[in-house]
Amino acid sequence: MVDASTFVTEAVEEIREQVGDDRALIALSGGVDSSVAAALAYEAIGDRLTPVYVDTGLMRKGETDQIRETFDYMESLRVVEAQGRFLDALSGVTDPEEKRKVIGEQFIREFETVATEVEASCLVQGTIYPDRIESEGNIKSHHNVGGLPDVVDFDGLVEPVRDLYKDEVREVARELGLADLVAERMPFPGPGLAVRIVGEVTEEKVEVARESCHVVEEELEEYDPWQAFAAVVGKATGVKGDNRVHGWVVSVRSVESRDGMTARAQELDWETLQRIQSRITGQLPNVARVVYDVTHKPPATIEYE
Amino acid sequence: MTRIVVVDNHGQFTHLEGRALRDVGVEVAIVDNETPPADVDADGIVLSGGPDMDRTGNSTEYLEHGVPVFGICLGMQAMADALGGRVESGEYGGYADVTVDILDEADPLVGSLAPETRVWASHADEVVEVPEGFSRTAESDVCGVEAMSDPDRDLYGVQWHPEVAHTERGQEVFENFVALCE
Repeated sequence: MVDASTFVTEAVEEIREQVGDDRALIALSGGVDSSVAAALAYEAIGDRLTPVYVDTGLMRKGETDQIRETFDYMESLRVVEAQGRFLDALSGVTDPEEKRKVIGEQFIREFETVATEVEASCLVQGTIYPDRIESEGNIKSHHNVGGLPDVVDFDGLVEPVRDLYKDEVREVARELGLADLVAERMPFPGPGLAVRIVGEVTEEKVEVARESCHVVEEELEEYDPWQAFAAVVGKATGVKGDNRVHGWVVSVRSVESRDGMTARAQELDWETLQRIQSRITGQLPNVARVVYDVTHKPPATIEYE
Repeated sequence: MTRIVVVDNHGQFTHLEGRALRDVGVEVAIVDNETPPADVDADGIVLSGGPDMDRTGNSTEYLEHGVPVFGICLGMQAMADALGGRVESGEYGGYADVTVDILDEADPLVGSLAPETRVWASHADEVVEVPEGFSRTAESDVCGVEAMSDPDRDLYGVQWHPEVAHTERGQEVFENFVALCE
């Protein structure tokens, strides 16, 4: 396990050196990785760092408000409302790799707009070690790595937590005194709910994924999963109130892990599973069935795309 | 300080092998498998897992390095293949949760895990015949050679992944290996 206090001192020093007298921008997703990277960079260069939070419309329920609150202490925080632009860019895109690329490119474009305004020349990212191996092994391109378009205008790329695992990042978050909410929060992928939607991303499917994820997170809190969520995986037939429904199939996933490299599907009791099923199908008229994913990693990955 | 070098066969978990050894308290370096053994100074070698037998580089040259060698997954298969054993595509891939039976309680690498241990695996191929001088030290329902050892030459291998968090007593395997290198 990394020594958090030594790490913070060294990382802050390294960021100061890398950024020099320039200005930097950080992509804030609200997840623990980018939050830690932002806090380190803010410590290093203060208001010469502009943390940018892009509301892609692919965020979890209530996430944007939480971000505003948590990072209230950074005066330079910018929130970009880009929901419509992301949905437009994703329209008609079904290939998972293509989706990640489209999202990565749109992210960068949103940052570039702000970067030009504040004259930032460095980009800070919360890439962690497993993101890099999954990209190198061609398992999935990662939003922080493979999705980065070649046309980036930034002179420097700063990745302060690139050699850490998730559990170590959390350790550093605690050291930095970040709110427990951030430090203990479940991992959430950069491309957001888009990777929890198999096939094309539409407003309707995003809404189903968002509400279902919310139900799953609430219902499974007592199981203390490393990560728990719901994904929209396809369509199937159901019957609701004597009417045939051709609705969405929602897959519930809840895993235990230390570092995301391997994962075990959690053993949940029947009543809990039934409660999740009943809340999701009850609240969302366009959901026809709910299934539970029992696959470990390997052979499956944690997220669907 | 004991120094262990991990030869990277492009495995997803190679970095975790480095981490596990670091946690045992030894000096660790991870090197690309194209590195010539002559350039490597080590008290013990780990041959990592990886995706493809054709991409194991100079891995098997390390078997002649004169220090204990521990092959993991593909690393063990490469060891078996180079020394006259046989590797084939298994009938049934081993993924995630596998219960492994330890066949030799006295084995210096895995004997301490006896009688059985829960491991995390990820492989399609397997060793079906161990090389001369080796004995089978562990087996499971899905794979006949879950581990093999040749203590005279200090060569060891396991088919599973002791470096991942879900393998129950993986750290112990690294401790046992480090003890062989000291």
